[in-house]
Amino acid sequence: MTTAEGGPSRFREPERTGGYYHLLKAVVYRDLLIWARYPLNAALGIFMGVFFFALMFYGGTLVAGQAFSDSIEGLIVGYFLWTLSIGAYSGIMNDIQSEASWGTLERHFMTPFGFGPVVFAKSIAIVFRSFMTSAVVLVVMLLITGTSLDLNVVTVLPVATLTIAGALGLGLMMGGLSVLYKRISNVANLLQFAFIGLISAPVFDIPWARFLPLAQGSAMLQRAMRDGVQLWEFDPLTVAVLVGTSVCYLALGYAIFGLTTRRARRLGVLGDY
Amino acid sequence: MVSELSNNGQVLGDDTAASGSDDASTLGPDEAAIYVDGLAKTFGSGEDAVTAVDGVSFAVAPGEVVGLLGPNGAGKTTAIKSILGLVLPDDGTVRVNGIDVHTDPRAAYEYVDAMLEGARNDYWRLTVRENLRYFAAIRGQDPDAVAGRHEELLEQLDLAEKADTAVRDLSRGMKQKVSLASVLAGDISVAFLDEPTLGLDIESSLKLRNELRRLAEERGLTLVISSHDMDVIEDVCDRVVIMNDGQVIVDDTVEDLLAGFETRAYQLTVRGGTDAVLADLRERFDLTDVERTGDRLRFKVAADTETFYRLTDAMEAHSLEVASVETVQPNLAEAFVEMTNGTPETGPVSEEEVSSPAELPMGRSPASDGGGRR
Repeated sequence: MTTAEGGPSRFREPERTGGYYHLLKAVVYRDLLIWARYPLNAALGIFMGVFFFALMFYGGTLVAGQAFSDSIEGLIVGYFLWTLSIGAYSGIMNDIQSEASWGTLERHFMTPFGFGPVVFAKSIAIVFRSFMTSAVVLVVMLLITGTSLDLNVVTVLPVATLTIAGALGLGLMMGGLSVLYKRISNVANLLQFAFIGLISAPVFDIPWARFLPLAQGSAMLQRAMRDGVQLWEFDPLTVAVLVGTSVCYLALGYAIFGLTTRRARRLGVLGDY
Repeated sequence: MVSELSNNGQVLGDDTAASGSDDASTLGPDEAAIYVDGLAKTFGSGEDAVTAVDGVSFAVAPGEVVGLLGPNGAGKTTAIKSILGLVLPDDGTVRVNGIDVHTDPRAAYEYVDAMLEGARNDYWRLTVRENLRYFAAIRGQDPDAVAGRHEELLEQLDLAEKADTAVRDLSRGMKQKVSLASVLAGDISVAFLDEPTLGLDIESSLKLRNELRRLAEERGLTLVISSHDMDVIEDVCDRVVIMNDGQVIVDDTVEDLLAGFETRAYQLTVRGGTDAVLADLRERFDLTDVERTGDRLRFKVAADTETFYRLTDAMEAHSLEVASVETVQPNLAEAFVEMTNGTPETGPVSEEEVSSPAELPMGRSPASDGGGRR
């Protein structure tokens, strides 16, 4: 290190033994540890995911019979994406709220990596955990319904990840707002139901709908998992819209998160809860 | 101790010119471990505006342990958070190890961390060791590479036996120590500890104080410890910065601060004093706590050496028999109370008034003559 004038430092240099890899590893591991150390919450999360699907499946079959069974693949894919999206959205939002209430949020601000990379690492951790839990729900759904889907990881993983990036952006936005306004759970919870509409948005009938969060990815995931379409078989424009909307909503969410946390710092409420 | 107001708002004792305190106060922005100049923060606007930090300036030398003292609402926590960039200040410059915290926070955070929430500073669901590993990693350390140092730290803080225990299962005192350990888990050289002993029983507080002092010396840490527990500051710190109403009202060594008080007050018990004699003494000297029991008269008097001689002359002239003379030695708590709100004259004061030591009433700190402000 040098001083502001460029001279040699008179202070002891810190010994840096780690980097971004260790940051990411630690954040992912901590996220899983905290999740596992609230076992009832973790188990109930998966159970409720399966329970609601089972309710829909058996209820739908009872009411609509064969017509419902014919559309079960689409329902499974949509439900899988919904649990993934909710996991990413509420995961990052709850994480930020919890960190504020635990008194640890400010410590993540004071790191040599900067707040942005730490929040980004948290986002990756939460997406990773969401995939794990949603995969369990998906497997149970397939077993319950006796359905098979094309689970080509090379296609499903990037499409699903890009799709929920938009949800993550919304989660960051709501997390930032919760740092600033503290109690926003009513609005935050309502948004979760809006995801159902976004996932089922008819992007082929209403072209502009593909620019909404989740919509384009949802349509692509349906084709990939139901029809076995591979990533490289999609029209480049379709992929471009997916990447563009995902990056835009994630960037927008992060920008709002940055603005709200800066505002929280100005108001002195960053660590309040 | 006579004092004057520095141009940046510090009340500096001129009889501490050769002390570490003064050395620290004259450190430049690139020499001090912590350099704060003109820090200001107001919350709200208009009639609702609350000035939490008002032109705070001080410097801390590398390896120095400084206490930031003040009553509730004095602005200590806001000052610390503003220094660290967790609160955006309205004005002022802050440097840590020569790096501007507000323009280059990431570089500054290489050196500094803070324990801001006491026991609420780490993850209670994780074990002690898991906390240390996590906070080391987010501060740029490979937890495996620094595992040995963490074990050493756990030993130093008597936490080794509880290393694999979840923090939530520990006592309050242990939790505080885990918070401290997690702050020191990264390789930092500057730490801010906000109320580190808050909520601890006396025994736990004493142990933590000893450990803080030892850690600071062994690791060469620069520490700023905020507290309204004067015993903590007195035991651990080299120097004390006292804040009131968002301003620094005193910046001095603990030793000199107490010395400034301890020679200024005496408690005397005399025999043979009449009401007329008492009235005469009251008129000529600053007598307080006067009690009369039979022919015994007990009182406290604020007096420097010259005043004390005049008092003894007066007592001799009145043929008073001296039964006892005691030096009143206030501890830091009493000094602090008197400086922050213990005097009736609580109005603003001009620099000229403060810098005229000859006019200072005796037995009162220079700062308190500033009406609890500078």
